[in-house]
Amino acid sequence: MRRTGALLLAGLLVLASSAAAGPEPARGKALAEVRQCGACHGADGVAQTAGVPSLAAMPGQVVVLQLILMREKLRQVPAMAPFAEGLTDAEIEDLGAWFESLPPGLPADRAPVDATKLAAGAALSQKGRCGICHLPDYRGREQMPRLAGQREDYLRQALTQFRDSQRIGTDTQMTGLLHGYSDADLAALAHYMAHRHGGS
Amino acid sequence: MLRRLLGFGLATMVAAPALAQAPAAPPPAWAQGRPAALNASPLAPNAPKLTVTPADQVPVGKLTLPQGFKAEIYAAGMPGARMMALAPDGTLFIGTRTIGRVYAVKDGKTYTLASGLKQPNGIAFVNGSLYVIAINQVLRFDGIQGKLDAPPAPVDMTNTFNLPPEEHHGWKFATIGPDAKLYMQVGAPCNICELDENRHALLLRYNLDGSGREIVARGVRNSVGMAHHPQTGQLWFTNNGRDWAGEDEPHDSLGVVTRVGQHFGFPFCHNGNMQDPDVQGRACSEFSAPALLLGAHTAALGIRFYTGDMFPAEYKNSMFIARHGSWNRTQRSGYDVVNVTLDAAGKPTLRPFMGGLLEGNTFLGRPTDVQQMPDGSLLVSDEQMGAIYRITYAK
Repeated sequence: MRRTGALLLAGLLVLASSAAAGPEPARGKALAEVRQCGACHGADGVAQTAGVPSLAAMPGQVVVLQLILMREKLRQVPAMAPFAEGLTDAEIEDLGAWFESLPPGLPADRAPVDATKLAAGAALSQKGRCGICHLPDYRGREQMPRLAGQREDYLRQALTQFRDSQRIGTDTQMTGLLHGYSDADLAALAHYMAHRHGGS
Repeated sequence: MLRRLLGFGLATMVAAPALAQAPAAPPPAWAQGRPAALNASPLAPNAPKLTVTPADQVPVGKLTLPQGFKAEIYAAGMPGARMMALAPDGTLFIGTRTIGRVYAVKDGKTYTLASGLKQPNGIAFVNGSLYVIAINQVLRFDGIQGKLDAPPAPVDMTNTFNLPPEEHHGWKFATIGPDAKLYMQVGAPCNICELDENRHALLLRYNLDGSGREIVARGVRNSVGMAHHPQTGQLWFTNNGRDWAGEDEPHDSLGVVTRVGQHFGFPFCHNGNMQDPDVQGRACSEFSAPALLLGAHTAALGIRFYTGDMFPAEYKNSMFIARHGSWNRTQRSGYDVVNVTLDAAGKPTLRPFMGGLLEGNTFLGRPTDVQQMPDGSLLVSDEQMGAIYRITYAK
C-alpha cells in the first residue's frame, strides 16, 4: 500500500506544477503523441477500437479524474495501467485540456440505427433523467462524461460495469442509479447515446 | 442495513423501468427523498479536485478574518486533504476521501504515507500510533513519528473493529477522548431512511485495541466532527442534516452528549422540532434536541475547542467549526469557518470567523477541518485546494 513513487511524487509535485501555469492543450497534445494515446483512442480522439472510449470533446475534468483514479490504482483498467503510471498531475491536466479541445466525432464502424432499440433507449434515458447530470444533449459537464456519439460497445460495457459494482466513478452514483436495469435496457441506452450528436 | 426505502423515494426513483423484473432498487443516496417536484433540479454533489493546486493558486489572499488575525499557507500540494491529527513532535497527519491517500506534514515537508485506500478520512494519533480508518478498514501505524520517509507496515485491526460495510456515509471521523477511547461515527447509509438504530446513525467509542464497542449517541445522521470540551469533558459534535427537504430546512447542527446513549432524532426529527416529511412514527418530544443550528446544507464538519494562548481571551474554550459548503441549495452557503462560544450557562452563540471562499454562487475552496497547533495558531484544511491554512493572531 505504501508506494515509494508516491513519496517521491509528493516531494516533487509542488515544484513540478508551479512551473506549469495551468493546463495547456498544446502540451497535452505533445504528451498524447509520446504516450501513443491515439493508438487506441484515435489520433483525433475518436476511438475506432472496440471497447475503447472516444475522448474528443470529453469534459477535461472527466479525463483528469479518471486518469488519477487509474494512476492511484483506485480504478483498475489493466490496458491503461502502464499509460497512467508515473503521469504527474500537471501532465494529466494537460491531457484533459487537449481532449476537451478536440471536436467530437463518430466512429467509422457505428452501427446503423435500430429504430426499436433507439426508442427504448430514448424512453429509458427520459425515465432515468440522464440529462440532468450529463445535460439534455448528453455532452457532459464537470465530472460527468460526454455520452453523445460515444462508442456503443464502450457505453454498454461501462454501464454494465457500473450496474454490477465492478466500477465506481469518483463516487458511487452510477451504481445506485443503474441497479435493476436489464442487459437489454443497458444495450438500448448505449444505442441511444451512441446516436446522439450533442454539442457538435 | 437500510430497512425500508421510502415509498415516495420509490415513486420517484430512476430505475423505474426495471421494477417489473428486479427487486426494488434504491436510487443513489444523494437523490433519495427528492420530492417529485424537484426531479428536474440541476443540483448535484460537487465534483472533487484530485490534482495538485500549486501554492500560488491557493486563494489564501481571499480569506477574510476578524481584526488582528492573519492567514498564510501552512502546506499545499496534497489533493483532497481533509481531517487532521497532530502528533506530539509536531507531525500533522491528514486523511482524504476520494483520492485514497494519507498525508503527513513535518517541518514544511509533505509526505504521502499511504495510498489506494477506500476513503481514509478517519485519522487519530495516540500513544505513538497513527490510526487510519477507511470504509470498513482500520489500520494502526505504530512508531511512525520520524519514519515518514519509510512508514512501518500497519497493523490491520479491521476484524476487531468489525465496522459495517456500507459505503454511503461510511467514511469516518475519529478522535481520542479524555477517557483514552477512540471515538468515531457510523453514519446513516442513505439520505433519509428507516434504519437499525443499533447499527447506523451512531456515535461510537472503542477501547484502543478495538474492543468494548459502546454506543455514545443514536439518531445522528452523519457526524464528521467531534471534540471533547476541555473542562467538562462532554462530547460536542457536528451533524449533517438531510437533503431535499427544503432550501432552508433542515439545518446542520451542533450537539452535545449529556447522557451516554441519548437519541438525537434521526430519521424522525430534525432541528429538535421538525418532524421528517417522509419518515413518521416517533415524535420530536421523544428525542434530544441539538444545542445549536448551523445552517441548512452548510456541511458543518471538523470541530475543535480552542485552548491556546495566541488568540484573544474571548476565544478560550470556544469551538471552531469548518463548514465544507452546500450542494443541495440554489444559493450556496457555508464554505467558511465559524466560531461558537458558550456562556456561563453553556448556551452556544455562533459568529463568523474565516470567510472569503464564496464569491456570489461560486466557491473557491472547501474548509473541512480545524486543528490547533501548540503555539496557539489554528490550522484549517481546504479539501478542494489540497492545502492547509495557518491562522495567527497579533495585536
